[in-house]
Amino acid sequence: MAKVLIVDDEEGIRMLYSMELEDEGYDVVTLPDGKDLLKTIKREKPDCIVLDIKMREFNGLDLLQSIRKEFYDLPVILNSAYSSYKVDLKAVAADYYVVKSSDLTELKEKLRIALEATIPKK
Amino acid sequence: MKSIEDNPQGITEAEIVVGIPSYNEADRIARPTGQADKGLRRYFGERSSVIINCDNNSPDGTRQAFMDTATETPKIYLSTPGDVRGKGQNIRNLLEKAVELKAKALVVVDADVTSVTPRWIFNLVGPLFEDFDYVAPLYVRHKYDGLLNSNIVYPLTRALYGRRVRQPIGGDFGFSGELVQAFVEADAWTDAVDNFGVDIWMTTVAVRHRSSVIQSFLGMPKVHRARSSQNDPDMVFRNVVGTVFDLMGPFHDFWKDVKWSRPTALFGFGMGEVEMASPVEVDSGVLWEGFSAGVHAKWEIYERVLQRASSAKLEEVAGLPKDGFEFPIALWAQILYDFASAYRGAVVPRDELLDVLIPLYQGKALSFVRETDSMNTQQVEEFIEDQCLQFEKTKTYLLERWVQG
Repeated sequence: MAKVLIVDDEEGIRMLYSMELEDEGYDVVTLPDGKDLLKTIKREKPDCIVLDIKMREFNGLDLLQSIRKEFYDLPVILNSAYSSYKVDLKAVAADYYVVKSSDLTELKEKLRIALEATIPKK
Repeated sequence: MKSIEDNPQGITEAEIVVGIPSYNEADRIARPTGQADKGLRRYFGERSSVIINCDNNSPDGTRQAFMDTATETPKIYLSTPGDVRGKGQNIRNLLEKAVELKAKALVVVDADVTSVTPRWIFNLVGPLFEDFDYVAPLYVRHKYDGLLNSNIVYPLTRALYGRRVRQPIGGDFGFSGELVQAFVEADAWTDAVDNFGVDIWMTTVAVRHRSSVIQSFLGMPKVHRARSSQNDPDMVFRNVVGTVFDLMGPFHDFWKDVKWSRPTALFGFGMGEVEMASPVEVDSGVLWEGFSAGVHAKWEIYERVLQRASSAKLEEVAGLPKDGFEFPIALWAQILYDFASAYRGAVVPRDELLDVLIPLYQGKALSFVRETDSMNTQQVEEFIEDQCLQFEKTKTYLLERWVQG
């Protein structure tokens, strides 16, 4: 089953997403911030990342650029309480942008699509 | 094929080549030439470089204007012979010259762009020395600038090849030496590619080549010459859309396995305040006239090309009043997929098929203008994103039609 890495500084969000996504059959790993993000990606090899934008000491949009540099084709879904970050061009590097909601239907749908996305390899 | 080469400094090798394709740009070419020179010296002074004007033997003195532009970077003038015309012809000369010069990075900047800055050169060249093969531009553009791209080229190529290159026909690109070599060796140079089809050809071949793609934000809006009679919009349409359809045949083995789409890496942030693009006016009356006259005149062909469900829905759309006009995106995607399949099967002669698609495109463009009338740039981008998802969802329809032939 696909492994999803949740990066969010709100413990409640991490718990909610873990429960809901595990119920859908995903393996879930969580991080409270971006401090060890790249190391965690290397170690856990997630199939997709759900990345918060506005975290205390980290900006998810900057973390996204670092992910793209090292893990070019790793799917990333930006997940923020704010829709205003969509205006930031850096968000273009994300697979999808989902505004946080207690209803995870859209997040689950975008997760499914991001994991299905295929471009034939060399 | 090149008949004229003026290489006064005898340049035989260059790590970086900046190419400026032109035809009758004597009054404009000094600007991109001078900016390219500044960019190369400021950011890549330690590397060898050359600026090449690849021209269509312009009678207006473009060659002289280019060579007279004071630069520290060496210059080469290349031209097609006699009255051979076409941007693609110029690009082909440029690619061959870049291979000859053993270039590691080739950047192409349109000659009529007045907003090019030294930073553009940095942003288009820089990623090529960081293991990227293809640098596509990201500009600030007005919502009605590039209707053909927003309504056909971007959603269709994204759904086909799975890579989100927002400006696949932007005209300003960067290529690694390896990719330039691949272009030179690629088949499928057609008449359309020799003209305005060359930009989408290069983008498609690059993505098909599985190049590492990055989009580079250029900061300034793209400001260029208004389309003149030498850039007949119908000819641009035929060249660009014809090239997309042409490439679907040989690249079927690739795109049939593509599902949904993936983003690219990004480059070029931190340039401060972003300037807004100037408004682009669209004549809705011309689009309406083109659609309503064309759809009635060409109905018999539409019935041959479209599946019955699509033609029935199109008939319904054609009956809408101008004030309440809307072209549903799911129908539009199916129509384009029907046309692509008909193009492959030569159901109608290909040139004629592209011509009869134009009125439908005008209808779709009119609908786009109406639906986005009160939207800001970001809202329009989200609208286009939704349209692209529809193309991706509808792709199974194309796969079925393609197999049916």
